[in-house]
Amino acid sequence: MSSRSEIFDAIHALEKREIPHPGDFKSYEATKDPVGDFKNSLSIVGAMCIEAENKQKAETRLNEIYPDLIRYTSHDVVSNGLELEAVDVLEIDGLFAVAENGAIWLSDQFMPNRVAPFICQHLVIYVAKSEIVPTLHEAYERLDGHYADFALFLAGPSKTADIEQSLVIGAHGARSLCIVLI
Amino acid sequence: MLNHAEASEKFIEDAERTTWHDETLWFVRSKRDKVSKLLPEWEALREQASSIKDHTLANLGQYLEEFETKAQANGIKVHWAKDAQEHNEIVHSIISKHGGKALVKSKSMLTEECHLNEFLTKKGVEVVDTDLGERIVQFRNEVPSHIVLPAIHLKKEDVGETFHQFLGTPKGNKDPQFLTEAARQHLRGYFLGANVAITGVNFAVAETGEFVVCTNEGNADMGAHLAKVHIACMGIEKMIPKRKDLGVFLRLLARSATGQLITTYSSHFAKPREGQEMHIVLVDNGRTRQLARDEFRNSLKCIRCAACFNTCPVYRRSGGHSYHQPVAGPIGSILAPNFDKSANVDLPFASTLCGSCSNVCPVKINIHEQLWFWRQDLMKDGLAPLGKSLSMKGMAFVFSNPTIFKMAGYMGRLVMRFAPFIVNNSLNPWFKQREMPEAPKESFQSWYKNRK
Repeated sequence: MSSRSEIFDAIHALEKREIPHPGDFKSYEATKDPVGDFKNSLSIVGAMCIEAENKQKAETRLNEIYPDLIRYTSHDVVSNGLELEAVDVLEIDGLFAVAENGAIWLSDQFMPNRVAPFICQHLVIYVAKSEIVPTLHEAYERLDGHYADFALFLAGPSKTADIEQSLVIGAHGARSLCIVLI
Repeated sequence: MLNHAEASEKFIEDAERTTWHDETLWFVRSKRDKVSKLLPEWEALREQASSIKDHTLANLGQYLEEFETKAQANGIKVHWAKDAQEHNEIVHSIISKHGGKALVKSKSMLTEECHLNEFLTKKGVEVVDTDLGERIVQFRNEVPSHIVLPAIHLKKEDVGETFHQFLGTPKGNKDPQFLTEAARQHLRGYFLGANVAITGVNFAVAETGEFVVCTNEGNADMGAHLAKVHIACMGIEKMIPKRKDLGVFLRLLARSATGQLITTYSSHFAKPREGQEMHIVLVDNGRTRQLARDEFRNSLKCIRCAACFNTCPVYRRSGGHSYHQPVAGPIGSILAPNFDKSANVDLPFASTLCGSCSNVCPVKINIHEQLWFWRQDLMKDGLAPLGKSLSMKGMAFVFSNPTIFKMAGYMGRLVMRFAPFIVNNSLNPWFKQREMPEAPKESFQSWYKNRK
């Protein structure tokens, strides 16, 4: 007998217990200031935040923050992730953001390569102010029916506290994260 | 092998380090308290998570089947392993097909439970743990002492010395920033060169056939998105019914674990990328046995946040290695006897039954009650050490005879007042590192009778 059927047999041999799913969870109170909450969460997760009317206007600020660095955008398609090792700054579009925790939903449809937001040294993500939901519940509500082959919530730059609980930014992924609120 | 009490005795020899360990973990617990109190719905979220897990465990067969169908439709290869040995063999057979000699692995408590590293190393495969804490303990030929903070038993001096030895960092350099950078450079080489990446799984969604992996460092993603083959290993209890349920669990997980709002990366893997092979190994290894036990089934709800470790007065003062199991702490102590009762008979006793673990558990596992259930189970099986069963019998005899009980109390007070040396010596374990209390003048009973 295969292990698969052994496992299923063991489960099906158990007495049937009727326990219903509790249904979808609703958060208690909706935030009145999603943008303000989001910016506050960004500072907690260690991300920078700049505001600009549009991408062109953000350009000047980004040039100041990352002088002399090679910048890639999500329109540069790179089939071999290894080539991205040399990328200093990657700019990509976030689909929407979550106020309560500073997370941004990134889908592989809008990345040059799945490894892009991890392998680059610095990451810039554009998010529209109108696209900020209060909590993860509204986030998954919004994602209902939308599927990506790979996607993630990203909150802040890569970090670790594995050496004596000292927080160090820049473990394996991006060393810094800059959110541009449009 | 040392039992928990013996190993703890070694751990606390260094009083300063024990205090540091204790206070550091308590600090993590306090951070958890702070962020959880910012959410007015925190308790409702715990209840919701617990109910979803109850529902899932009651319908596990249906959800596993649904997950398998969806995952296969997504192009993921699904494997089933009944035990650790089979899990290791499946992983090895996938690796050998691809001629991989070096593989990168991110954190997976399941692979620790199955002793995968040891198995693969014997087969000539170089396993590189990529979580910083896990890499540190791997260099030192140790195992993680905490499921979320694998190197919490070490000080930065220890890490500096280890990195000097293995990575050639300057002797005496113990700066966490510098050492982390050294590890980043060292591990990048492996990420870029590895054929195969192994990751764990935090949640598997039946509805969509996708799985979610949470890290702060980004190591799981660096491995999985660069390697030609991605193998994800999970216990069958990691299942959740719907994608919307993720909202509940992701809100609870990082807040409970480290007091973060969410982990830096919560990656949702649904399909392999172009040209990549993606495998999932679903492992039983005793889980269906636990599922059949009414009093212990709840332990399968665990999402491995380690909040119960951080709050536990015994864990904080005895260190993870004294539990001699890949998953230590209170939750480890109720999981371990399911694998091997006689080898883990000490663990359910490594607790004060204070209940703090159950109070912080985000999925409301009755950990302290299960510790107590296991004690009864192990005693019934005759597995308790002779000293313990004799003293329990003695106690039962004294407590069930009022005259003898009164006499014993009287003798005790007498001895402590007039001949304290009889109890104040190293033969009495209660005297270790403690002053014995001053003996009361009379018993509670006589005080009660004589009260005005």
